[in-house]
Amino acid sequence: MSDGGPVKTGIQGLDSILLDGIPRTNVILVQGVTGSGKTLLGLEFIYHGIVQYNEPGLIVVFETSPDKLIRDAAEFGWRLDEMQQQKKLQIIFTSPQVFDQELRTPDSLLLETASEMGAKRIFVDGFGLLVPDSGGGNSMRGGYRELLQQLMESLSRENLTAMLSLEIGGAPSSIATVDATAFLADTVIQLGRGRHGRRVRRSLEVLKSRGQDFEAGEHTLQITSGRGLEIFRRVQAPLRTNAKQPTSSTMRSVIGVEAVDTLIGGGIFDGSTTMVVGVSGVGKTVLATQILREGALKQKTRGLLVSLDEHPAQIIRNAQTLGLNLEQQVSDGTIQILFESPQELDVDAHYARIVRLIEKHDIQRMVIDGMTSYSTAIGEVSVYRDFFHAIVAYSKQRLMTTFFNYENPEFLGISSYMPDFPVSSIVDNLILMSLVEINNSLHRCISVVKSRGSRHSFDTREFVIGQGGISLVPLEKNLVPALPLQSYSSLLSRAPTRFSLPKRINGAVAVQEKE
Amino acid sequence: MELSVQGLLESVGISLLSEWDVLAFVYRHGVSLTSIGQIAIFVGYENNVVARALDRLEREKLIERSRPSQEVCFYRISASLDAERQQRLHQLLSQSEGRAGRRLLAQRQAPVWSESGREEQSAESRR
Repeated sequence: MSDGGPVKTGIQGLDSILLDGIPRTNVILVQGVTGSGKTLLGLEFIYHGIVQYNEPGLIVVFETSPDKLIRDAAEFGWRLDEMQQQKKLQIIFTSPQVFDQELRTPDSLLLETASEMGAKRIFVDGFGLLVPDSGGGNSMRGGYRELLQQLMESLSRENLTAMLSLEIGGAPSSIATVDATAFLADTVIQLGRGRHGRRVRRSLEVLKSRGQDFEAGEHTLQITSGRGLEIFRRVQAPLRTNAKQPTSSTMRSVIGVEAVDTLIGGGIFDGSTTMVVGVSGVGKTVLATQILREGALKQKTRGLLVSLDEHPAQIIRNAQTLGLNLEQQVSDGTIQILFESPQELDVDAHYARIVRLIEKHDIQRMVIDGMTSYSTAIGEVSVYRDFFHAIVAYSKQRLMTTFFNYENPEFLGISSYMPDFPVSSIVDNLILMSLVEINNSLHRCISVVKSRGSRHSFDTREFVIGQGGISLVPLEKNLVPALPLQSYSSLLSRAPTRFSLPKRINGAVAVQEKE
Repeated sequence: MELSVQGLLESVGISLLSEWDVLAFVYRHGVSLTSIGQIAIFVGYENNVVARALDRLEREKLIERSRPSQEVCFYRISASLDAERQQRLHQLLSQSEGRAGRRLLAQRQAPVWSESGREEQSAESRR
């Protein structure tokens, strides 16, 4: 049984937000609207205290039947009934009046029980029932304040760390007393439950916690059936550890095609970030598949493909039609695919899942296929930007090579790399994949417009997608039954113009003219 | 079902509806830290009826209560309840969850109302 050090909640993700736990004997107020997860948080606090830290606990309920509490906890696999039999837990049903009286009496049965069973934690569910109603006036509120002080004193004397749940958002008249509770409590955790489109989003924010620092801001809270609560640190929060950012001078092939590497200046640095911008259908996902296969097969680096657009089965099938056996790498674990539906995307949870996969499988090459889908799914530009910055920072910290595919809405030629989300300045490399119309036919082109730390080419090269994926059309021996690409100018400005053949006047080459 | 309810009630040792209601309250709330007055509010009887019911249930070793503190005690189902009585109690509780079962229980333990309209006499005094 641990007597020193902070009290760990044991709730997934919460202790890291609290920077390792809460100072012992702090009175923790958990406030929130109906359905925000207050009771569950309290139950889990007690449950993990018993199971993980061998700290017996008490649960005091006013409104909820203990039977129902036991039944509901069993849904998450927490056998409170067994814990009661083992005398590690005691659920006590009482009334606010009795509870109030108990805290004021020197021979309190409640505290006697806590002492006898060696309880270290107590959860009081529905503390708001002790709050006097609006009719109480100042004298009642004064009494309530006194009660709170007595409660804190009693709990502290018994070396108990208390968690009190308080429902907010009800009668506005109770604001003063609710404020008093929040003021007197050592730690205040606010739970939120709001609409995001048509779905529900829960949040957790530590408003204050005496005697410690914590990760401020609104984090995501999720309730998972059979598991309980999980808190996902808000994605934009900078890492606490300001470690030096590693850099590498190792260059690796992008897709194993020398001509593509030449375009980008000889390859891509380990730990660099690359934005691939292109219209829908130009071949960004094919490039992504090849990037990951190149890493897995030739460079022995594990890869991760994150997609909000296509299910893994579809990605594997499409790759197969091009002779790219992605299934093999997925089966042997050298390539992971994470697919999440954009409709239900919660960016904090999504980011946490990406990080977990990277760390679990030691991913060194990652492709995020579909930044545009994030824009649609997240909605808020600031959150979208935070997500992107967090991924870039994390990738660099791990020296992981990361590619982002961005779908440019402009079909032929582009006037802006990323019109709705201008972050191209953050990435190290920028690859453009464009469609060009020549002789009533669309041609695919690739250009490298930015590559930090290397001498990249500014040539626009035509490429085709066939068996084996992307390959560049040779410059000398054009496969397309038309004039070679070099015969055109203004390809990126949506007006490809063919050069005329040089005219010879009196044996000298005249200045080139456009037709 | 009727016979089984009657038999179960006798074997558990309940003779009054108020006793049954108080026992069911204690059972359903696990460990309750409360006063006679609070239980009376919950079950809808007068304080003296609840007090008598609690005394009888304690004598029958169906419930346990702690030392009092400011008229408040811990109440819980007796840990020393033998397996057979425990099983019968569970059966009764299970039957009382349904409307039909509850009606049967009420019929079997029909209360004799006092002048106040809420107090009932013991089974012995009715005979």
